[in-house]
Amino acid sequence: MSDQPVTDFSESRFASSWSAATGSWLPAVILLLATIAAWEAVVRIFAISAFIIPAPSEIAQSLVANWATLMQATLVTAGEILFGFLVSVVVGIAIALVIVRFDWLGRALYPLVVLFQNVPKVALAPIFILWFGYGLAPKIGLILVIAFFPVTLSMLAGMQAVDRSLLSLMNSVGASQTQILFRIRVPHSLPNLMAGTKIAATLSVIGAIVGEFAGASDGLGYVIQFASTQLDTALVFAALLLVSVLGIAFYYAAEILERIVVPWAPKFSRA
Amino acid sequence: MRIEPIRAAGGRSAHIRHDDDLISAKGVSVVMARQLVLSNIDLAIPKGSFVSLIGPSGCGKSTLLKVLAGLVEPTSGSVSIAGLSPVEAARKRMIGLVFQDANLLPWKNAVDNASMLLGIADRSLSRAQLKARGQEMLDLVGLGDSAHKRPHELSGGMRQRVAIARALALDPAVLLMDEPFGALDAITRDSMGQSLLEIWQRTGKTIVLVTHSIDEAIHLSRHVHVLGIKPGRITESLDIGLPYPRDLSVTEDPEFVRLVVQLRTMLRASHQPGGAS
Repeated sequence: MSDQPVTDFSESRFASSWSAATGSWLPAVILLLATIAAWEAVVRIFAISAFIIPAPSEIAQSLVANWATLMQATLVTAGEILFGFLVSVVVGIAIALVIVRFDWLGRALYPLVVLFQNVPKVALAPIFILWFGYGLAPKIGLILVIAFFPVTLSMLAGMQAVDRSLLSLMNSVGASQTQILFRIRVPHSLPNLMAGTKIAATLSVIGAIVGEFAGASDGLGYVIQFASTQLDTALVFAALLLVSVLGIAFYYAAEILERIVVPWAPKFSRA
Repeated sequence: MRIEPIRAAGGRSAHIRHDDDLISAKGVSVVMARQLVLSNIDLAIPKGSFVSLIGPSGCGKSTLLKVLAGLVEPTSGSVSIAGLSPVEAARKRMIGLVFQDANLLPWKNAVDNASMLLGIADRSLSRAQLKARGQEMLDLVGLGDSAHKRPHELSGGMRQRVAIARALALDPAVLLMDEPFGALDAITRDSMGQSLLEIWQRTGKTIVLVTHSIDEAIHLSRHVHVLGIKPGRITESLDIGLPYPRDLSVTEDPEFVRLVVQLRTMLRASHQPGGAS
């Protein structure tokens, strides 16, 4: 028989991707270390003032000295991001489902969602503070308005990309719209949805920090603002470093989630 | 190997109706986007036969198949499948569909894909019953040992076998196939055709195959209908008298070669637009 299965080279593929990974990481790490070293050298040689550009060593010292405060702030911000991110994903999915399932409502809702997407939502932060106070609520609200859109849009794209002849098959056996939605469209949209979710994870970090800038008494955004008014630039950089770490952590958490949710979406198949 | 289950081939014309015709189309015309896609199609497909529809691109042969499947409503004329409308017949699981793209669900393995449509059509079946039926159908199409593979682990030909298993799981009276092997390489195509013949002989289904391939049409079918363009219409019908069971060696038979020449001549004529046939 000529139609043989695609041979699985998973082990060798893993091996080659591992060496490819170290091969691609190594130059970046070297460049990063070199940049830090050059930064340190330039600041020392030209005796640049610490409140303009702190040396990496000063940032590290500040990180250690303010460790307890920074960890507390990181925890607060991480909580906002996680909560806001989850709300964004749930709301984003719900809007996408409503748009696809209820035709007339979808036609009413979709243009409004797109229109709303064009509002500069960072500018909503002061209003949210006004409405919801200084606590968790305005941050969640801001993250939601910033981060739900890629979730909705990516899921919609995935649900609408179902092949017509597959829908013909379903229709021919009398499948209901609800059956088509949950048996075909939703699972079909999961790879797209997970891509949107990764974008939402990144946007959630931005939403949390902007929310804290606008008004907060805790969190990394608050630390950054407070430290910059004190001209404690080393602390600003230390907090910035932690924000970046949070961003990376959330992105990779979303990526791990993707592998759990859609293990069947292989990167190389669907020829 | 068993001979065909229903009855021996007879020299019948497609336009003469018989009591044992499973599908009959009378005066079917389809207008789409102000274009006459199909014009006054009369077609009778005997129960248990293997019929191919062949014609140039744009002749409406896929549309005709969709009309038979109840997916396209004819603008005029009527189609009856065992006395039912195509939509009614589809609801009663009498129609199995196979398209050029297997359209398997990538998140389900082969056995779950094979039973997927059946599960939608009959919600009273348990998971175990569906799995058993899926496995039975995979065995029938020669994929019994690949039940737990996901579509991306299967070759194009194997995916198409799963698609055939999925259609057969409904236990339909008729299998409507729209260029099912069109995306496969020549060698895989031959072996798929041969497998389809064996499945046909074992199950006794009526099969209607839309194809571009002259060799495939003659190798597999008992009746071939040639469609012409502008408007889409049946220009010729050809009975293939080669005895079943057939295998690939039939392609070396002088009668096969004669039929190829004859069908090619018919097809060439069908490329000419116009009313005369």
